[in-house]
Amino acid sequence: MKQHPDNGTRTSLFMKIMTLLSAVIFITTAVTTVYSSENAISGGTEPQLLDSGPGPEKADRDSVASVEAFGKVYKVLMSPRCMNCHPAGDVPLQGDDSHLHTMLPKRGVDGKGVYAMKCSNCHQATNTPGLHTPPGNPKWHLPPADMKMVFEGRTPHQLAKQLVDPKQNGRKSMKKLLEHADDTLVLAGWNPGEGRTLPPMSHAEFKEAWTTWIKNGAYAPKP
Amino acid sequence: MIKLTINQKKHQVDVDPDTPLLWVLRDTLGLVGTKYGCGVAQCGACVVHLNGEAVRSCVTKVSRAAGQKVVTIEGLAARADHPLQKAWLELDVAQCGYCQSGQIMSAAVLLKENKNPTDADIDAAMAGNICRCGTYLRIRDAIRLAAEMQRNPSKG
Amino acid sequence: MTQQKTSITRRSFLKSSALAGGGLMISFTWLSAFSPADTKNAPDVNENWMEINGYIKITPDNIIKILNPNPEFGQNVMTSLPMIVAEELEADWQKVVVEMGPHDSVKLGPQFTGGSNSVRMYWKPLREAGAAARHVLMEAAAQTWGVPVEEVTTKAGMLYHERSGKSGTYGSFASKAAAIPIPKEVKLKEVKNFNVVRSSRKNVEGLKIVSGKPLFGLDYQQPGMLIAMIEHPPAFGMKLKSFDAAEALKLPGIKDVFSQKLYEDGFEQGGFDTRSFNDLLVVVGNTTWEVMKARKKLKVQWEPAGDTKDTMGGRGGKREVLVPGELESTDAQLRKMQEYAAKPAQQLRKDGDPETAFKNAAQVIERTYNAPFLAHNCLEPMNFFAHVTDEKALLVGPLQAPGWTEPTLSKVLNLPADKIEIRMTRMGGGFGRRAYGHYLTEAALISKKVKAPVKLVYTREDDMTYGIYRPMYTATYRAALDANKNLIAFHVKGGGIPEHAIHANRFPAGAVDNYLAEGWQIPSNITIGAFRAPRSNFNAAAEQSFLDELAEAMGKDPIDFRLDLLKRAKENPVGKNNEYDADRYAQVLKLVQEKSGWNKAENKKYSRGVAAYFCHNSYAAHVVDMVMRDGQPYVERVVSAIDCGIVINPDAATNMVQGAVVDGIGNALYGALTHKNGAAEQTNFYNYRMIRMHEAPQKIDVHFVQSDTDPTGLGEPPFPPVFGAVANALYQVAGKRFYQQPFSLQLNSLGVL
Repeated sequence: MKQHPDNGTRTSLFMKIMTLLSAVIFITTAVTTVYSSENAISGGTEPQLLDSGPGPEKADRDSVASVEAFGKVYKVLMSPRCMNCHPAGDVPLQGDDSHLHTMLPKRGVDGKGVYAMKCSNCHQATNTPGLHTPPGNPKWHLPPADMKMVFEGRTPHQLAKQLVDPKQNGRKSMKKLLEHADDTLVLAGWNPGEGRTLPPMSHAEFKEAWTTWIKNGAYAPKP
Repeated sequence: MIKLTINQKKHQVDVDPDTPLLWVLRDTLGLVGTKYGCGVAQCGACVVHLNGEAVRSCVTKVSRAAGQKVVTIEGLAARADHPLQKAWLELDVAQCGYCQSGQIMSAAVLLKENKNPTDADIDAAMAGNICRCGTYLRIRDAIRLAAEMQRNPSKG
Repeated sequence: MTQQKTSITRRSFLKSSALAGGGLMISFTWLSAFSPADTKNAPDVNENWMEINGYIKITPDNIIKILNPNPEFGQNVMTSLPMIVAEELEADWQKVVVEMGPHDSVKLGPQFTGGSNSVRMYWKPLREAGAAARHVLMEAAAQTWGVPVEEVTTKAGMLYHERSGKSGTYGSFASKAAAIPIPKEVKLKEVKNFNVVRSSRKNVEGLKIVSGKPLFGLDYQQPGMLIAMIEHPPAFGMKLKSFDAAEALKLPGIKDVFSQKLYEDGFEQGGFDTRSFNDLLVVVGNTTWEVMKARKKLKVQWEPAGDTKDTMGGRGGKREVLVPGELESTDAQLRKMQEYAAKPAQQLRKDGDPETAFKNAAQVIERTYNAPFLAHNCLEPMNFFAHVTDEKALLVGPLQAPGWTEPTLSKVLNLPADKIEIRMTRMGGGFGRRAYGHYLTEAALISKKVKAPVKLVYTREDDMTYGIYRPMYTATYRAALDANKNLIAFHVKGGGIPEHAIHANRFPAGAVDNYLAEGWQIPSNITIGAFRAPRSNFNAAAEQSFLDELAEAMGKDPIDFRLDLLKRAKENPVGKNNEYDADRYAQVLKLVQEKSGWNKAENKKYSRGVAAYFCHNSYAAHVVDMVMRDGQPYVERVVSAIDCGIVINPDAATNMVQGAVVDGIGNALYGALTHKNGAAEQTNFYNYRMIRMHEAPQKIDVHFVQSDTDPTGLGEPPFPPVFGAVANALYQVAGKRFYQQPFSLQLNSLGVL
């Protein structure tokens, strides 16, 4: 049984709305061949990045290539290997069906769990051998409570906007975002432990899409 | 040889560094208070304290514990008089008793970090420990009682 | 005082004798069917003082030691059985030392933990043992003081002569008392004078439990002991074909890998000799982890076993039973159950003319209920220590029924029973699973083969996928109502793999004029065993849900409806052999009605479900109060009413009922063991969901009917009706009936949740 102690009813309602919304998105994109500049996050409403890394020059921008690349990025981020630790609630998800993590470990303030239920109490520095055993990483944790970086339930548009918004992305500049593709926890998605499916493309392919998306202007698909 | 400090006592063990701490405790050192229940960090029967954290010793390689401080149920309190142990006895929590050392070790971390846990705190801290006999209500009560004893030692 | 003949003199004898070093010991001996050799003579007293275990031992320095005869698996017999002795002995409970007895069915009686029988079967013998000991102590004091024994009184381990002001401890008279013959008759205390029994006493092993002392089978160690594990086939219907252990044997600490047959062909199995796999692939090594690692290096070929035959012995004489070879899957099993349900079945009971009543009914209500296999999931997995030599065998570990295991061991090891010593450790749960001692026999054979002390350990996965499950059940209930919505006929037809669950003579049999009970079964190679209240644990779910639906259809309150039926069963019972006492049944319903504030306005916030059941000679009723919490139904509160006669240790009994309620909620909502191509689909707690802390109720109020009736079972009776009460509360919360266990799977598909 999938339980959601924090917002079960909200989630199921939310999912229904999302299903409707995605249909709308499909219709919208089907009739729009050119992305208007208002969809570009780095357009007129360019967000203030915390460190002044090299943002894409206007000349380099290619909204079509960017949005296309984000389509790939989105598939990876919404795969269980990434989304399970970016849940909508304060309990991580588990398994290829993204059910709530058995025994409901809580996020805690720092994202590392609470009391006797801290992530590293079970999740070791490396994967534990065997099926259904805790996957491992020295930094295993959820996003912290003040920066939840939720993927679960986000549309491509929402997720893209969120990822480049320093107020929502862990105060990352574009440079830091680019580097994030090689973060140890991101890489952990491609070393998930026995029996778990991999993200839908290789890490190299993902990194290329990620880089393409950002370097071409980090455009968000239409809502 | 791996050097371990368990319950403030130093040990040297000649085992494969990949051996789970659980089996070093039980098979090599004869500290059998730490229980085997599932082997995959699902049931909490094997909880010990590693530098004060409630690790599942069944998935914790002994190499992780090398040179660190390990406390097992046998060493939780010198005279088995930790407020939790006293509360467990006062409320006669156990049925079969098999899971209880793991329950107590988990609860000890909760009480160390939260002197006055709410029911929600208790649920959050203890959901990783299975009690097949279903003594959960008494475990909750005993944690509340131990918290009270801890705040007000004269009650112990 | 109740003058009572010592009943044990009929089947046994009480004796007293000098304890080496002074002191008194009382033991009582059954002339047990298991050990006919012992009927010849009384055991040699002096020799037996060193070994006898069915005793009360009193030392001159006034230490009173009481042996617990029955295996402890959490039902608290280590405390409650000695309390019974201490009550009649008038011992000071604070000074009593309790020890677990070894297996000795002659000196310690049946020694069986199961069927909620521990207290029930030991109640009288233990009282008599305590009373007899007290009597000889009083005689000793009377002789010493030169006063009539009638003037000697006892209290808390002391003897008094009021007129002379003389007094002394039990210990100081123990040596003298040992020479005094045990009386033919002993006086037992009146219930109203109990001061140990009926007052809450703490678990005598509590301190050992909370401080992590070695108590359980898995904790047992001996110098030079090896660890063994068994690789069993991955599916029911498969067997070992061949193996290559070359890689495994290269690993450090690995001593041997071999195949071992459990039972020889034609071995006559007793009822508790159930085993799922006969050809064992055994890995033996120095430590648990080394053996676990070696198992992963085994290259094993398995093959279909095909249809096989088991030879069954026992009361019905020798007979062969076919074990079908099919690799079963849950979907196919469900379809097969539907087919069988449509066929004629064995009639179990019939009253009146149900066929005509159903034909003439104004309304017929028919509902079908299903439940899956369940694994016991004792938190301590199966294990046993064995040290077998050509001369003798020592076995130590968790076991519910040593008396049933010993004859099997004797045959398999070809050793006389008196060369086999079985010691029972505390069990990390049992729930029926440890009545089946195959793992002890396996350990013994492995020790014999490797000629060393060995502890056989099952991993969680071994334990969960091995079998000996609660069967898979179905039952179809039908009720006929007349035009005035009166219940005129009741029909239950139950089936299962490999047995049905129907108790034909239980409620509502006896309360309905036209009644029919039928049963059918489908043979299977998936093994089954007793699981906390066998059969009842399904019946109470199905029948009590059906009665709830029936009450609604008849426009009656569910408790009043049951009480009406019970009134009928009491005043004008239908048929014969009705197993239950309608008064006691009604009493628990009335008690739960009162204590739960059943129709009180302040409880309207709850979705409430009620159920009651009778099994193992006791009566239990629950009201389950459900709420929606975070979008899920949650049992917040439960009120329970129990009649199990005299309650020996009230707080511990309350604990037991609370645990049974939690266990019932967990299994009703989540418990399931399914199969695909013969393989269990659940292998550990990541896919076999267990109830956890946050899912347990906030409160479980337990009320016992005040009774002077001799005590009956408590481990099982509170468990079955929880399922029904949960189902009925779910209906209130969801507006939809729940027919398929585990209920959580249906919750997912409910749009409203």
